[in-house]
Amino acid sequence: MNREKVVFSFFMILALTLNYGFYVGEVDNPAHHNVYELFAVVVVNLIATVLKFGDRSQMGAMLLATSLVALVQLLSASFIWAYVVNIQGQPMTPDTMSTIVSLSGGAMVANIISVILLIIETSMMRH
Amino acid sequence: MSLVTSLIMRQMRAPFIILILGYSISVLGMVLTPGVDDAGNRWNMTFFDAIYFVSYTATTIGFGEIPYPLSNAQRAWALITIYLTVIAWFYSLGKIISLVQDPTFREALTKNQFARQLNRIPDSFILICGFGETGHALASALTERNIRVVVMDDRPELIQVLPLENFPLVVPGICGDAGDPEQLIEAGLQNSKCAAVIAVTADDATNLKIAVTSKLLHPEICVVCRSELEEYERNMISFNTDFVVNPYDTFSNIFAMAIHSPSLHLLYDWLTGVPDTDLTNPVYINEGHWIICGFGRFGKGLYQQLLKAKVKVTIIDPSEAMRESFLNMPENKDNDFIIGTGFDAHTLTVAGVHNAVGIVSGTDNDSNNLSIIMTAKELNPDLFVVARHNKQSNQKLYEATDSNIIMQPSEIIARKIRTLLVSPLMIAFLNKARNQDPTWANITISRILGVLGDSVPVIWTLHVDSKNARALCQVLHLGRVIRVGNLLQDAHQRDQQIKAIPLMLKRNQKLLLMPTDDIAIKSGDQLLFCGTPAAQRSMRWCLNDLHRLNYIMTFEDTPDAYIWRKVHQFMKRNERRNRPRQKRHLMK
Repeated sequence: MNREKVVFSFFMILALTLNYGFYVGEVDNPAHHNVYELFAVVVVNLIATVLKFGDRSQMGAMLLATSLVALVQLLSASFIWAYVVNIQGQPMTPDTMSTIVSLSGGAMVANIISVILLIIETSMMRH
Repeated sequence: MSLVTSLIMRQMRAPFIILILGYSISVLGMVLTPGVDDAGNRWNMTFFDAIYFVSYTATTIGFGEIPYPLSNAQRAWALITIYLTVIAWFYSLGKIISLVQDPTFREALTKNQFARQLNRIPDSFILICGFGETGHALASALTERNIRVVVMDDRPELIQVLPLENFPLVVPGICGDAGDPEQLIEAGLQNSKCAAVIAVTADDATNLKIAVTSKLLHPEICVVCRSELEEYERNMISFNTDFVVNPYDTFSNIFAMAIHSPSLHLLYDWLTGVPDTDLTNPVYINEGHWIICGFGRFGKGLYQQLLKAKVKVTIIDPSEAMRESFLNMPENKDNDFIIGTGFDAHTLTVAGVHNAVGIVSGTDNDSNNLSIIMTAKELNPDLFVVARHNKQSNQKLYEATDSNIIMQPSEIIARKIRTLLVSPLMIAFLNKARNQDPTWANITISRILGVLGDSVPVIWTLHVDSKNARALCQVLHLGRVIRVGNLLQDAHQRDQQIKAIPLMLKRNQKLLLMPTDDIAIKSGDQLLFCGTPAAQRSMRWCLNDLHRLNYIMTFEDTPDAYIWRKVHQFMKRNERRNRPRQKRHLMK
């Protein structure tokens, strides 16, 4: 058993499931999308990215790339949220919400690819 | 990404994760903890507020600027935040700083820097293994001639001071064992830009290893090796090392030159010296009895030369076995072999120091050599002294002894290799000069003195091809005749001569010493010149600039720019129309 891989899988799958939890619901309804969940996805995704630092294998580099993609979209979603609500001081509108949710949807696709890569890597491991 | 970089990245994981966790816990807690606004209502920080608060608290900046005063619950969480994040920062910073100071990381950085410098070299470079006295002299001589060098040595203190040296070009240096093939490859051995390898470490075995490695891994390149022991020298030659330079053989050849023809020796000294230093004075060796102290490789080499000059020689050496074999050789019957060391007055007196003309102090121990010189000079102040200098640190002592010739291995090797690499024609020139009679050398010397003054000249080779003499080749193609004398005309004042002397002309493998001014130049010729740096610049300018060459040949300063050229042609046409009968002056 490779502990490093197990820990990474934990964070990767947690990122995907949290991401799904945030994403699911009507796309423009602020009541369906919880800010705490977005916060959790960002933190877990950050950890998953850092865990792939300095991995010299091809698969490791690919996983770093996909989680970076997810991170970029999640951070942009958070920035939009902070910009509209805190900087401009406007209430959350369905327009903004749908932008944020679609960005998190993009991040979810990247996270799904990460998990698929993870499954491929695991299944290729010799026992 | 190199192995070390990814290792460092991997070790950064823990500090990063600690920071992320510390921040996210603090932020989340801050958002969840209830506060009270100025109207007494309950409020919670947004994530934006909380990240702002935690950021200035964690970095110990502490603005203290918040929308409302903190409630007690928020203060309690702020306490936790402070300790959590500040400790996380301390831990991470400490870890990151220790990683940056990690010796393997630093080594990787310097190696990366070396590789970058190597990549930046535009054309080709010469790899010098061993950056001692010889390596240093070679690096400075080669960079002065615009040849790129890379140095390698296993003494880090020598490589570290490289940036402080004032070489005209950047000299990348790498610290490593040149005897290790892998480190030699790292130093750029297999790089396509590597043109030559010079192995001048102090150890013959290492030099041999470098030569073998270079010939196996990059067979096309030129390999120059220093060797002091005969078996290593034979070994190096056996696998086609291009040049093996032995300080003792080289010196005994120079010594032979000094015995046979002082003027030829002087010529050698001037033409292979470091440019812009003062010219040396001639060395005159009287005929008569010689004493050689120390019959090692150095002593034997000089003995052979003295034997050829039919001079009586007395040898002083402590080895009994050496004496036996010496006396058994029939050609040694006229000469004596005394058992002893030579630094006591008694042995020297027995050897006949009072009537001798010269003494060679040729042991491999500097204190013994110095002692021999001082004792012998006391007994006979007129002695001609040849001193063997072993350790660089004793240079001042040898200079103080006032010896006539000091044989310093590193200097001799540097001079030989410099000549080999910078002006290969010079070796051919000196070999040919050796067969000339002494008057020839005398005439050449007085000519050099007359034209160039009293500093060592610059040596350069002119290859008559389109790469090195573009304009000259174009003109030769047109069928114009250009003579050696034309090359010596000044680019600024055509009726004046530049301070240069053509030493040799090489055409179709034939060598011609001191070509006269009326010889016509052909494409493919190689000419060896000595002269001042200004003369070299002037000549290079003429040979590559059509207008300059035209000026030299016709006395006309033709303009470069299009309009001026048209005006010039127009004026010339007018001139011709006005004087139709006058013959045009043509240089044939």
